[in-house]
Amino acid sequence: MKIPTAMDDSSVSHHNGGQVGSQIGVNVNNKQNDEPSQSVQYSIPGILHFIQHEWARFELERSQWEVDRAEFEARIAFLQGERKGQENLKNDLVRRIKMLEYALKQERAKLHKLKYGVELQQGDMRPPPEELPPEPEPAERAQWKQGQQLIKQYLQEIGYTDTILDVRSNRVRTLLGLNNEEQGEDPNYRNYDKQQRDRYEICSSHAMNSMGRKYDYGGKEPRKSGVSTGGGYNEEGLSVQETAAVFANFEFLANQEMDMDEIDDLDAKQPHHAASKQGEEVDHEAEEVLNELNSLTESEADGGGQGDEYPVGKFAGGPGVAAAGAGVVGAGVVGAGGAGGAGGEADEEPLALGELAQLTVSNEPEAYDVASANKESFRKTWNSKYTLRSHFDGVRAIAFHPTEAALVTASEDHTLKLWNLQRTVPAKKSAGLDVEPLYTFRAHTAPVLCLAMGAPRSEECFSGGLDGTIRVWNLPPPTADPYDPYDPAVQGPVLREHTDAVWSLSAAHGRLLSSSADGTARLWAPRAARPLLATLRDDAPAHAAHAAHAAHAAPAAADFADAGARAAVVYRDGTLLLYDLETTQVVMRVSCDSPMTRVRSHPTLPLLVTAHEDRHIRFWDGVSGRCAHAMVAHLDAVTGLALDPNGLFLLSGSHDCSVRLWNLDTKTCVQEITAHRKKFDESILDVAFHPLRPYIASAGADGLAKVFV
Amino acid sequence: MADGVQILRRNRPGFKAKDFCRWPDEPFEEMDSTLAVQQFIQQTIRRDPANLEAILKMPEAQDEGVWKYEHLRQFCMELNGLAVRLQSECKPETCTQMTATDQWIFLCAAHKTPKECPAIDYTRHTLDGAACLLNSNKYFPSRVSIKESSVAKLGSVCRRVYRIFSHAYFHHRSIFDAFEKETHLCKRFTYFVTKYSIIAKEILILPKLDDETPITPPVGESEA
Ligand SMILES: [Zn+2]
Ligand SMILES: [Zn+2]
Repeated sequence: MKIPTAMDDSSVSHHNGGQVGSQIGVNVNNKQNDEPSQSVQYSIPGILHFIQHEWARFELERSQWEVDRAEFEARIAFLQGERKGQENLKNDLVRRIKMLEYALKQERAKLHKLKYGVELQQGDMRPPPEELPPEPEPAERAQWKQGQQLIKQYLQEIGYTDTILDVRSNRVRTLLGLNNEEQGEDPNYRNYDKQQRDRYEICSSHAMNSMGRKYDYGGKEPRKSGVSTGGGYNEEGLSVQETAAVFANFEFLANQEMDMDEIDDLDAKQPHHAASKQGEEVDHEAEEVLNELNSLTESEADGGGQGDEYPVGKFAGGPGVAAAGAGVVGAGVVGAGGAGGAGGEADEEPLALGELAQLTVSNEPEAYDVASANKESFRKTWNSKYTLRSHFDGVRAIAFHPTEAALVTASEDHTLKLWNLQRTVPAKKSAGLDVEPLYTFRAHTAPVLCLAMGAPRSEECFSGGLDGTIRVWNLPPPTADPYDPYDPAVQGPVLREHTDAVWSLSAAHGRLLSSSADGTARLWAPRAARPLLATLRDDAPAHAAHAAHAAHAAPAAADFADAGARAAVVYRDGTLLLYDLETTQVVMRVSCDSPMTRVRSHPTLPLLVTAHEDRHIRFWDGVSGRCAHAMVAHLDAVTGLALDPNGLFLLSGSHDCSVRLWNLDTKTCVQEITAHRKKFDESILDVAFHPLRPYIASAGADGLAKVFV
Repeated sequence: MADGVQILRRNRPGFKAKDFCRWPDEPFEEMDSTLAVQQFIQQTIRRDPANLEAILKMPEAQDEGVWKYEHLRQFCMELNGLAVRLQSECKPETCTQMTATDQWIFLCAAHKTPKECPAIDYTRHTLDGAACLLNSNKYFPSRVSIKESSVAKLGSVCRRVYRIFSHAYFHHRSIFDAFEKETHLCKRFTYFVTKYSIIAKEILILPKLDDETPITPPVGESEA
């Protein structure tokens, strides 16, 4: 034990020596005797400095180790995947050999019978075990079904089906996490995305229900049908796979006896299976993965994986799944890292897997959702990536393009601006890496207060202003040059029925919902010949309190609810009204003390979220009107609310200058970002989630908009 | 608007248009925001847009570069209003070039090589370019202090912006008059560039808007 550095303190080393052993102690003592002069030099500051120095070094090393560990863990996961693939391959080959053996025995038996007219007594006349149970014969079907039902029931009772589903999808991510080096710019990307979302939306509602959050849907058709198709999907689309997974997991039916006809049957079916499911003989893990990937790889028309008889092998690097992986990754798993931050995620992903595999979570494609699965820590951290500076005054509203990495901002400087995050305008005299706007929309004659984006592919957006107008805009293509000639066709119809400032807009199902300081909320078909569909006014007050409300309360914000069948309108006096859009009657009325500033309805649940000036965010049951939860969310008035498209996260902004991200399930804040400076007493004015891509954004009174990835 | 003791200067969702920004003035000394100069300028304009003296009276101890910069931002922002009005009347077919009097054709400097844009495009491109320049992180990273070299950039923006006024004045007089009546923007701009000698007097080709005394036309100036 040598004293490591001259900086080392003799008393410390002596102490060490004494602890470690006499021999060393002697050694140290010798040293001490040898260098008595050196010990004199040590001073408290020196010691402190040394300790600090050492501590910093240890920290550095520790972080390096951590990185190493992450790398190794990634490597381990990768190798395990590879091994699994090899094992599956081996198992499959063994099974095939057995199958051939069996067939040979059959043939021998037949031959024997023909030759000698006697049954050949063979040792074992059993077909090799088949993992995927064959389609039962009609006669057996009822019994089979019954058994399946029983198992299902049993599994449901112990809540295992969902676990399987979830574990399965987590494993998909596990495996895909290995292929995530780069985000695929696949032309099919959007298809994946959509499919993924469709699939996952169904799953998520399914999972949510199972998580004990049963909501009564109030008999509303559209949503109900959505859920039941979801159920149907699970029943029909997944049931075979589900049971397969179950069987694979339990393996108590794997050794089922089959008669010979079935074997023929099976053989006949083999190619079909191989084509449609890319081979059925895979172990449960791979099968689960496949089930998840099925639609993806199938849609991918890429031969790479299609004809492959051993799909498992592909996970070790086959082109088909790698491409599909990239697609899925692009859809969100790690794509959340976006253009920039993917690297860090890639390191972290494998770390999370161990825990992920055991967790029951809703199946969401987004990275932050993956992260949410890990309940202890929120792995996705949003970082400011783009600052959008070009407005001369506060940015009142911000909305993302439904599909592209583009957004529109609306400002008090009377303009709206379109930004393409993937195309930075070649810097001219102004410079830097700032994103420059692609287009400036001019037509409002007063501050623009609110904004709504049209449906995908409609390439339109809507804005409402202090001038009382609502304007429809045709978005220029993302390739537009800001210095192109002026094209008047960018301006669409103008809706002028509001007689005062228009404060909120929301668009859904081809309709537009606006709320205005003139006391009304209105429903529009923006491009129709007679665009005004309905005026929502609380003009039938039953008693005094309502009369007072109707007399001087202006709506602050409105949002579609209940799949577009209703409108939630919040008022400055703290009232929340739910209007039936068919009858324009108020169907629910709740109120609280604090003025409301925003309302958002949950994308899948009958849940309304309101932002308040008293720093609260409140959650309302959209059926009973009960206040499900209320929380102090900020240090100052809450001004912006946005729900992620899957309804798992809530983003809020406040005049306290911060943006907060909330886990909707636990109602806990998972990240806080200080984003904007104050102008007078205003700070953040709006927040937004990208409907598909991993972007969030905030807009501030300081004239800036920020995008986080 | 006053919430008892504490005044919160906010535009809350649901406010009527007439109440927008209608709060008690805040003394400049009490503004602690980095946007204090903008707040102060806007507050003074709101009080009386015609009172040019008050609007352009720089508070004591104020950095003049920032003062000029914030005023120019405000001009460009308010010019959006003029651009909106021009969009409906100033068509590329009729105003094929950016002209004021017939003496000069102004080239649009927003392009890599200056281009003979129609008047409406010149207007939009100039405002868009100014928005980019004045918000550029490179030249104007801060709103509380500005490099001298960046202050020098304000001059060219002012010269181009002035052409928007002059085109409107000479070619779309009714629009100009209506806009000016409401905002006094051209008067304020002229006062501003004169007061701080940002534009040479001979470039200011518009007649004095108050007494209608024409100034002698300029002798030469073109887009650089
Ligand atoms: Zn013109
Ligand atoms: Zn131009």
